[in-house]
Amino acid sequence: MIEFQNVSKWFGALQVLRDVNATVAKGTTTVLCGPSGSGKSTLIRTVNRLEPIQKGKITLAGHDIYAKDIDVNVLRSGIGFVFQQFNLFPHLSVVENVMLPLLRIRKQSRAQARPVAMQMLERVGLADKAHSLPADISGGQSQRVAIARSLILKPEVLVLDEPTSALDPEMVGEVLKLLRELSADGITMMCVTHEMGFAREVADRIWFLRNGTLTFDAEPAEFFSDEAHQDVRNFLSAVRKNR
Amino acid sequence: MLEIIQNYWLLLLIGEYPHGKLGGLAMTLIISFVSLIVTFPCAVLIALARTGKPGIIQSIANGFVHSVRAIPLLMLIFWAYFAVPMIIGFPIDAAFTLIVAIVIYQTAYLGEIIAAGITGLPKGQREAAAALGLGYVPTMFRIILPQAIFNVIPGIVNQLTTIIKESSLGSIIAVSELSYVMLQVNSNEVTKPLQIFGILAAVYFVLCFALSQATNWLERRISSRRTGQVVVEAVA
Ligand SMILES: Nc1ncnc2c1ncn2[C@@H]1O[C@H](COP(=O)(O)OP(=O)(O)O)[C@@H](O)[C@H]1O
Ligand SMILES: [Mg+2]
Repeated sequence: MIEFQNVSKWFGALQVLRDVNATVAKGTTTVLCGPSGSGKSTLIRTVNRLEPIQKGKITLAGHDIYAKDIDVNVLRSGIGFVFQQFNLFPHLSVVENVMLPLLRIRKQSRAQARPVAMQMLERVGLADKAHSLPADISGGQSQRVAIARSLILKPEVLVLDEPTSALDPEMVGEVLKLLRELSADGITMMCVTHEMGFAREVADRIWFLRNGTLTFDAEPAEFFSDEAHQDVRNFLSAVRKNR
Repeated sequence: MLEIIQNYWLLLLIGEYPHGKLGGLAMTLIISFVSLIVTFPCAVLIALARTGKPGIIQSIANGFVHSVRAIPLLMLIFWAYFAVPMIIGFPIDAAFTLIVAIVIYQTAYLGEIIAAGITGLPKGQREAAAALGLGYVPTMFRIILPQAIFNVIPGIVNQLTTIIKESSLGSIIAVSELSYVMLQVNSNEVTKPLQIFGILAAVYFVLCFALSQATNWLERRISSRRTGQVVVEAVA
């Protein structure tokens, strides 16, 4: 579904991605982890061209995402993207946030879009908050709205950048539960997270990045075993210590 | 003082209307509001150009803002009043001239306020819009500008007080706004400049003080409504 071929990226003189080669199979969930600054956000942001790459090739369903005939906005509307900080639009109500892509990209009328958005809010368990402003709901609820908004155009791929890192601990669960359900429904998912329990349970593959290099790419069983790369074992023990 | 108010209050409020031209405070308010309303869309365009992609349009906008900020408004009024009729070959109404000069001048300042509102938004807002697949126009007009303008409403109201004060320059080219009317009263009464200009100052003060109080009130409301949002301090 998504293929990275020798992907390299620099910010000025700083190389942040080094020859990344990897594949995300259709319908699978890939969890990305690694130390802070290792390039996880940068790598997933290359998928919808929020970050341009300087070398290599990325294909989505077999199409080069930098091909001349690709409209970047069409590409992006086919990929759901969820940010750590939710990035809801604070001047719009919850339901208006979710409706917006239907109105402005699908060019639907409000009458068409509203029931679809309400259904999606129902799906994430927030139909009763439809008319609240983002400032008036909790972090966990905000992230669920952001996920609903990212799914409203029915993308085949959902990309999430630390979706639970900005949440109070008691709200992490509700978001992970939703992601588990989405993963089970068969969406192709790439998720940066430090929630190792989630990774073990939901991921089909786990990628480990260090200094812009994809040093390890394995199934959870191998990732959490003693056979894993030394970097991974160090990382895991550090994550456990921080709990 | 009371005597002056008794004799001239109607002139002060509406000029010689309905027997002659509308003037006085009414004229001041009309010029100010019309100027602000015409300035607003121009300022939005300037702000978009200033905060957008570098290129020829941005360079022109930068040049415009820097030029306008480097000349006094009075100079713009002289140009509009004396030079433009020579160039186009027929005279233009003085009030219209004044409005045009204020609009050009204020476009630069209000544009900067709105630009500050745009750059003050968290960059996640643009990224979220981009990630959804929104193009430039819906991103700016549906996401960025509504928030940016809302956040700088205090700055915009504050600019209205500046415009009200600036409109007094109309007296120099015989626009019958408040200051001009009071100058006329002064030449009638000759011996009472202290009272006359005291009244004039008081009227401007009440008007602008009320507006600046309104600005403070708006500032408090906006920062409480948009928790977590940057409220941009207006650079007037
Ligand atoms: N816009 C940027 N400009 C310059 N350097 C950046 C930018 N974004 C990220 N970086 C750098 O790229 C590296 C990788 O960052 P990032 O992908 O955010 O890491 P991670 O998500 O794994 O913490 C870091 O060294 C970071 O400082
Ligand atoms: Mg990151």
